[in-house]
Amino acid sequence: MDMLISILNWLLPLGYLALAIDYGATFILRNRTHVRNPGVMAAIAFHVLFLALWSVRFKGLPLVSNYEILSVVALSSAIVYWAIELVTRDRRAGVFVFMLIFLMQYTSSNWLSVMIAGAGDSISHVQYGWGRLHVLPAVIAYTAMAMAAIYATLYLIGRRNLKHHNFGLLFDRLPPLDLLGRMSFQSLLVGFAFMTATMITGGALFHRSVEAATPMDPKLLAKIIIGSGAWIICAVDVFGKYALKWSISTVARIALAGFAIIAALFVTSAALS
Amino acid sequence: MKLSVIGISHRTAPVEAREKYALTGDLSLQFLRAAHLENAFEEAMILDTCNRTELYFAETGREDCMENFLAHVRKLKGLDEDVDRSLFYRHDGPAAVEHLFSVAAALDSQIVGEHQILGQLKDAYRLASEERTARFLLNKLMHRAFRVGKRARNETQLGRGSVSVASAAVDLASQIFSDMSDKAVLLVGAGQTAETAAKGLISAGVRRVIVANRTLARAEELIDRLAGMQRDDSDDDRPVRCPGLLRHSDRSETDASGSGRQGPNARAIGLDGIAGVIDQVDMVICSTGSEEPVLTVQELGPRLSHRGRLLCIVDIAVPRDVDPRLGESPNVFLHNLNDLDSVVQRNIARRRQEIPRAKAIVQFEAEKFANWYDSLQAASTITLLGKRFELLREAEIQRYGGKFSDSDADQLRRFTESLCKKILHRPISFLRDLSRDAPVSDQLLAVDTIRKMYELDELDEDLESDE
Repeated sequence: MDMLISILNWLLPLGYLALAIDYGATFILRNRTHVRNPGVMAAIAFHVLFLALWSVRFKGLPLVSNYEILSVVALSSAIVYWAIELVTRDRRAGVFVFMLIFLMQYTSSNWLSVMIAGAGDSISHVQYGWGRLHVLPAVIAYTAMAMAAIYATLYLIGRRNLKHHNFGLLFDRLPPLDLLGRMSFQSLLVGFAFMTATMITGGALFHRSVEAATPMDPKLLAKIIIGSGAWIICAVDVFGKYALKWSISTVARIALAGFAIIAALFVTSAALS
Repeated sequence: MKLSVIGISHRTAPVEAREKYALTGDLSLQFLRAAHLENAFEEAMILDTCNRTELYFAETGREDCMENFLAHVRKLKGLDEDVDRSLFYRHDGPAAVEHLFSVAAALDSQIVGEHQILGQLKDAYRLASEERTARFLLNKLMHRAFRVGKRARNETQLGRGSVSVASAAVDLASQIFSDMSDKAVLLVGAGQTAETAAKGLISAGVRRVIVANRTLARAEELIDRLAGMQRDDSDDDRPVRCPGLLRHSDRSETDASGSGRQGPNARAIGLDGIAGVIDQVDMVICSTGSEEPVLTVQELGPRLSHRGRLLCIVDIAVPRDVDPRLGESPNVFLHNLNDLDSVVQRNIARRRQEIPRAKAIVQFEAEKFANWYDSLQAASTITLLGKRFELLREAEIQRYGGKFSDSDADQLRRFTESLCKKILHRPISFLRDLSRDAPVSDQLLAVDTIRKMYELDELDEDLESDE
């Protein structure tokens, strides 16, 4: 099984790289812009298989080490993008998404291969049982926020180009502005929904977790702050759009700034821990 | 190859000269009928467009094809003076094939990659087929030309991107809006440019149009024309997805405000009604002849500065109809002729970059056609036919030879040789007689049939690969 996991561990980033190249060709050549890509489903299926085998091998969900979580984030990004492409039928932004997914999975695979090489039956995942399941909606929430940020960036770039009469490389290669705005906001909505679920499940299961017996762990505190911050950013954007009729530009800027802040907090927290 | 083209085009003559010799309307038909009666050409087809008039023909072996053609043109056009020969060109054989394929691929068009030429070629071919002046050779040639045209479009970006102002306006709108079917457009001005841009937007899916004009009657006339828009009327670069925008039966009488007749999908208003509808529309196309701006900051600034939805304004007018300061509003994208020209020039440059790839397709297909044509020569076909029967004969001797004694084997060999010669005598004589006396089309058809019957092309390929 280790051999199979090893093979899949390296096939995955190659698969995502191939997708990034394929979408890159669509972006550069401006062809097949509305053709569904069956390779995405295949990559997702392989990724699910990989994580399932990983879970069986290491007797626990792949949500312990940061690099396992990174792989799960890559998978959920692919799923979220696939869903967006299914609805919008526009694949012109795919190159940016899959480049990011490739980088995430490549990083993850590099470190996971070390884990596989050093793995023996002695490695075990600390078992938290159902408590760990609240990490899944968190992963999806952060993924959705990342997608919202990507689409928001493309929206703002496209908007700026049109406003400044700049008909350069990106003109007619990006999806239309209103579609980018919609993709960004819909991703944000998904992020908001799953972050809400994360906070509810996290709060409900907190008292049953191991950490409850000890004083507030700085790592746990950091996660709560980051999660709360992400939820607040999503909530502000959703409220602003629906109640205050904010324009897509405003929503996009907040989504992008919010994600940048969350990412910075993550990196800082990881560096300090 | 007994195929040629004689013609005049935008490359060799200005429009004043071309229109003098154009065989428009019924004249092409009259030419084909006259040529057919006189047996001037074996096969003939006239291609007449705004940029060229060309005769594609299979020769009878006469030397005076050019003179014949020009004489007919002079007669049909009722010209007193002699035709200026220097404006006409002629290509023969493979060069004629390559020229036709270049025309089909829109490489020879004034706007490279334009879409109309393939349809015009099909019309020309249809006419020649109906008049029975297009037979075996032109049939094969034209079908190959259509394929070349399709390949050039599908395998390169030669036909991509707008190259007219009106379609560039639609392109700009498409960069902002993904789905036009729920968008409304305001046309300010009811002139030709506004109409062309509107047709492009309707082709892209727009279903709601408001026309604002100083004269209400002209606005309503434009609505009537848009309502009657047929498939062929749309802008060159955009395929029409819906035959019409409006239904006459749905249009109601003058509404209570007296601003003009309105229907569910379109209405006409005066210029003073623009402020009242600006919030309802997603796109504005301006092309009046006004010396002063029609859309001003004073009138529309406060509305647009607080607008939540995106608004695309395309100002095609000179002098400009739209105050440039309106473009500073956050959700307003204002474009003028400079921007449209930038888009058009960019697309033209992109098309030019695709020319080498399209030329490679043309050359490949022309060579392939020339090879096919050469394979239809009677001499090589006779040789291959003999070879086919020889192979059959040897195969049968090998199969049954073992049942004969050694002394009988020699007789068997001589018997089979004689039998094959006698079987082949009739078809070989037929082919030789045909190549001497028959029209080119009949020759080629007969050779092609025999080659298919005995799979001689496959045999030819096998022999070449053995070598």
